Amino acid sequence: MKAAPVSISCKGLTLRFPVYGVDAKSLKKSLAKITVGGRLGSSHGTTEVTAISNLSLELKAGDRLGLIGHNGSGKTTLLRALSGAYEPDEGEIEVRGRIAPLLDLNLGIDPSASGYENIRLRGRIAGLSAREVDARMDEIAAFTGLGPFLAVPVKTYSAGMQARLAFAAATSVEADVLLMDEWIAVGDAEFQQLAHKRLLKLVERAGILVLASHDLDLLRLYCNKVMRMEGGVASPVTDIKKLDELMNA
Amino acid sequence: MEAATHMLRTGRRGPLFEVQMALRDLRTSMGRIDLAWSLAWHDVSSRYRGSILGPFWITLSMGLMVMGIGVVYANLFGIALKDFLPLVALGIVFFGAISGTITEGCDTFVHAAGMLSQTSLPMFTFVWRTIFRNVINLGHHLVIVVAVLIYYGYWRTANAPAATIGLIFLLLNAGWISMLIGLASARFRDIPQIVTSVMQFAIFVTPVFWPVNRLLHHQWVLDINPFYHMLEAVRAPLMGAQVAPHTYLFLAGMAAVGWAATFAIFANIRRRIVHYL
Repeated sequence: MKAAPVSISCKGLTLRFPVYGVDAKSLKKSLAKITVGGRLGSSHGTTEVTAISNLSLELKAGDRLGLIGHNGSGKTTLLRALSGAYEPDEGEIEVRGRIAPLLDLNLGIDPSASGYENIRLRGRIAGLSAREVDARMDEIAAFTGLGPFLAVPVKTYSAGMQARLAFAAATSVEADVLLMDEWIAVGDAEFQQLAHKRLLKLVERAGILVLASHDLDLLRLYCNKVMRMEGGVASPVTDIKKLDELMNA
Repeated sequence: MEAATHMLRTGRRGPLFEVQMALRDLRTSMGRIDLAWSLAWHDVSSRYRGSILGPFWITLSMGLMVMGIGVVYANLFGIALKDFLPLVALGIVFFGAISGTITEGCDTFVHAAGMLSQTSLPMFTFVWRTIFRNVINLGHHLVIVVAVLIYYGYWRTANAPAATIGLIFLLLNAGWISMLIGLASARFRDIPQIVTSVMQFAIFVTPVFWPVNRLLHHQWVLDINPFYHMLEAVRAPLMGAQVAPHTYLFLAGMAAVGWAATFAIFANIRRRIVHYL
């Protein structure tokens, strides 16, 4: 399983988001623009926001990178790009290994379906076959601690229960590259302990972890390297021990 | 999941490259075609969760509609129920499949926004999901078709292989229209409204509720109506009639041109779709 080397490589990565305002999404206005002949902005008449500019990053097995930065600094965008959802505008991203993007806990959760069905759905989306999901079902079900509630529609769950379910389902995948946005603190104190243990195990098993968080203690706990992002520009990757220097820089 | 162990995304451009990437998306979706089936089944079963009849509600409500319209219109037109009800039953069922695939195409990408913006799932998966969902619905409706054909004795002359070929042509064409509308709807939010209006109009200009031979003048209206050809390719063989060769020609040409154009547009805007959502 670990035959292929696990790595992440970004070279000169630049991501620009076209902003399609609510206004621009009307066909009438688009047609009107064509008939008048004037086009605003640079391309296709839309303004663009540069979310990440010229980012280069090399990670290999064993690297656990923490991403830090203000809201809107490009952390989540980078994670999504690493998950393969965004196409770079310039540069390239290359990831070797199975990617598990744990960015949104509620991805693919259907509130009207039961807990079991949601675990199955989530597993299928993550790339497991129906048989693989069934093989893991007992373990996942046990981890949620929801017992008989798993047969009940998720919409009847409390927020904490839903988080338990989503967390258990999302972390059931075996992955080489783990991408996580800040959502580790879920559920009650008891569940947080369990979740923490499970994550540590997952991180150990995963070749590479990239974790975006504002919580410095959390980053110190999980990561061995750190990168600070500001306005889409990334600092060089530094050792986690120099986190304070990086924050004051 | 061998295919998922290496991911390369580049800022490279150029028409050839974009086409290659679009083809790769298509290939990946084919490799995980069972995922599209699972999602489609999930959609159907979640719509009818908690109901006793489950998905057969689709069948029941469709059956009632067929009975109502069949009986009333047979009287209005003064046609024997035996001739008219099967026509309407088949018309409603198969036009329903066309119109369902097309109108639900509006949501194909919009509803997949969450998954598309944080996973590398191929976009075609969601196109198949919409098509498969309608195939599953159609499967339930076939109960009505079979019942009507048996009750009125059409099963003796029905040509099932020809109807199957017709159904493939129907799905091929409904498929690209669905995808094209999905792409357009992601970008322009007025498309769903337009599509609903057009399909409402289409059900009346297509011979769903009325027999073709009642149209004395302006036969050309049928010849240029793609929905007529799609419907006729399936309905005529089941009712023991021949499908005109030009219908097959029309459908094959439309499928080829339609898929080529849709694929070209997809290749061209693929990298931007996720930003539309």
